[in-house]
Amino acid sequence: MSNLDRLHHPLLHRRQLLKYGLAGLGLTTATLAWQGLKSQSKARIPVVPANSPMMGNTFSPMQTLRDFDYGTVKQENGRTVREFQLVAGNTTLQLNTAVSFNSWNYNNRVPGPTLRAKAGELIRVSFLNRAGHAHTMHFHGFHPAAMDGIKPIRNGTGTIYELEAEPYGLHLYHCHVSPVTRHIGKGLFGMLIIDPPQPRPVADEIVLVMGGYDTNDDGKNELYAFNGVPDYYMMNPIEIYQHQLIRLYVLNTIEIDPAVTFHLHANMFDVYPTGMTLKPSHTSDVITMGTAERHILEFKFKYPGQFMFHPHQDLIAEHGCMGAFNVISAT
Amino acid sequence: MKNTQYLKIAILACAASVVISACNNTPTTTTTEKPSPVASTPPAASNEMVGMKHGDKKININGAILSELDKLEAKLGVPALSNKIQASRPYKTPEELVSKKVIDQAQYDQIKDLVTIEDVVLTGLDKDADYMVKLGLMKGHLYVAKELLDLNKPKDAEPHIGHPVEEIYTDVADQLNERKVKEFKTTLIALDDLVKAGAKEMPKVTTNLKESLQSIDTAIAALPETQRKNPAFVLRVINGLLDTANSEYGAAISDGKFKAAIEYQDSRGFITYADQLYQGIAATMAKDSPDAHKIIVENMKQLKTAWPAAIPPASPVKTPPEVGKLITAIEQSTQKVITVASK
Repeated sequence: MSNLDRLHHPLLHRRQLLKYGLAGLGLTTATLAWQGLKSQSKARIPVVPANSPMMGNTFSPMQTLRDFDYGTVKQENGRTVREFQLVAGNTTLQLNTAVSFNSWNYNNRVPGPTLRAKAGELIRVSFLNRAGHAHTMHFHGFHPAAMDGIKPIRNGTGTIYELEAEPYGLHLYHCHVSPVTRHIGKGLFGMLIIDPPQPRPVADEIVLVMGGYDTNDDGKNELYAFNGVPDYYMMNPIEIYQHQLIRLYVLNTIEIDPAVTFHLHANMFDVYPTGMTLKPSHTSDVITMGTAERHILEFKFKYPGQFMFHPHQDLIAEHGCMGAFNVISAT
Repeated sequence: MKNTQYLKIAILACAASVVISACNNTPTTTTTEKPSPVASTPPAASNEMVGMKHGDKKININGAILSELDKLEAKLGVPALSNKIQASRPYKTPEELVSKKVIDQAQYDQIKDLVTIEDVVLTGLDKDADYMVKLGLMKGHLYVAKELLDLNKPKDAEPHIGHPVEEIYTDVADQLNERKVKEFKTTLIALDDLVKAGAKEMPKVTTNLKESLQSIDTAIAALPETQRKNPAFVLRVINGLLDTANSEYGAAISDGKFKAAIEYQDSRGFITYADQLYQGIAATMAKDSPDAHKIIVENMKQLKTAWPAAIPPASPVKTPPEVGKLITAIEQSTQKVITVASK
């Protein structure tokens, strides 16, 4: 248990409760402790309405938050294979009421689907390009040169990428056709989560991908967003429960601007660098990420209410890369 | 692990056909794990990319066009079977024709030797068409680049000079080698460097652009002349170009306005070259396939009005669905010529 957990959890930790002996504590505490035990097996996650706002888009960022694509599972030669299907296409993104944007993306959404597998499995991605320009899928992680996603796949054709799910951690995929800045900036990116062999503690798991939009091809970003749509989570705060362990998968895919931070209000988070550790490296309320950097951040909210998160490059935050958690009282 | 690219997965086969229904579906994202108790057989391996078309013996139920599927329809005597097969795409196995209730087991037993879901390695005509589409896309890019350079807009021309190297050359490099075509990546990069540097020495740019276009023509000339003049072959290349132009035109417009000039210009280049290719076979077409010829000429004429100049007009002459409709009409009328030729 990290110091952070202790700091934020108003209850004593389960083990401590056992150590002190339940008998010596009041009935109320015992009840709460039981709830604490219960929460170990299942995270408390507010119900997300199926009709969450799309704001004129083909997808809802509210659904993106906890939408993990585990693929179709097959067993081949005693090994688990996960098959994913991704199609590159073009869709118009409604970035706000005034600005629309011709996006290139995977599966009609920005970011593309959050692909998820477990260390040691085999990932097989069938990729089809129907987006006009040549595109690819380039995955971060270990793989042979032939699977590096560098060879352009032209419009109307496809390929299959096959890679070992290794190493465990938080990774990404994106198009690697030049100019990569434009291909990523148009929306061709997504997250790849490889879970460790031993699962992480139960948590409310949330995906946040930062992106930048050069809306007028002037080599500068005019708008930014978490999960595709600028300011979406300011207008529609993310509901989470007080005291519930939250695990954020945060990825920075903002091109052009060299680096941004991620800052969480009124809290501190445990940092698991690149998601490649099982123990946090340190605790902070701000972390810097260059383009393509990503981390797992864990925290609990001590107080209910609304709390913002955003890069502390405030100009970038104020151009769409801003959101809020609405922490619901645990009681 | 053996790292080969498998050509089996159903969705890829969709790439093969112009008449695509399955590929328009939003791919499913499965959040539940469905472990399969049966170990699947290892798919056929190949190092080739999936290309334009499928095997010539068995009918690929994922990729075949309607007229091919009609063979199955005729054999079983099931009305509108071809459309039903298309509607239930994609198929992971041929047996899914039964499990998806397209046909029953007895019917399946009659045609099981005729159908497949696997793509084959590109060979012969398919490979040649794939090769020529790539080179055609390069030419399209350079055509529009030249127009923009002539308008003294090197900055606008640059992406179109970059695209042949960035998007296409590596994809066609193996085939160039196989066909013993002298590499011309160096030429393309030199041109890109010149234009990126501001195209200050225009005579040098002009010479280099000419050289680049000549290199592409030399690469195209590696194909036998009979083939380059064969309408069925050329129409397939034209379809590849039009399909790409269609996607890019759509990506240029939002809210009824041109938002991305680059994609407008890309598609203009592809249409220009597709039109030029058609001129080369127009006389043969008028003689041998007058009906198709008439439709193609008429639709092409209308299509070209969507690209009045290298710089996009203030508002689109045609909406993306209108352009899509014209392109579909052309593609449909080419199918007969292509299918007859492949019999």
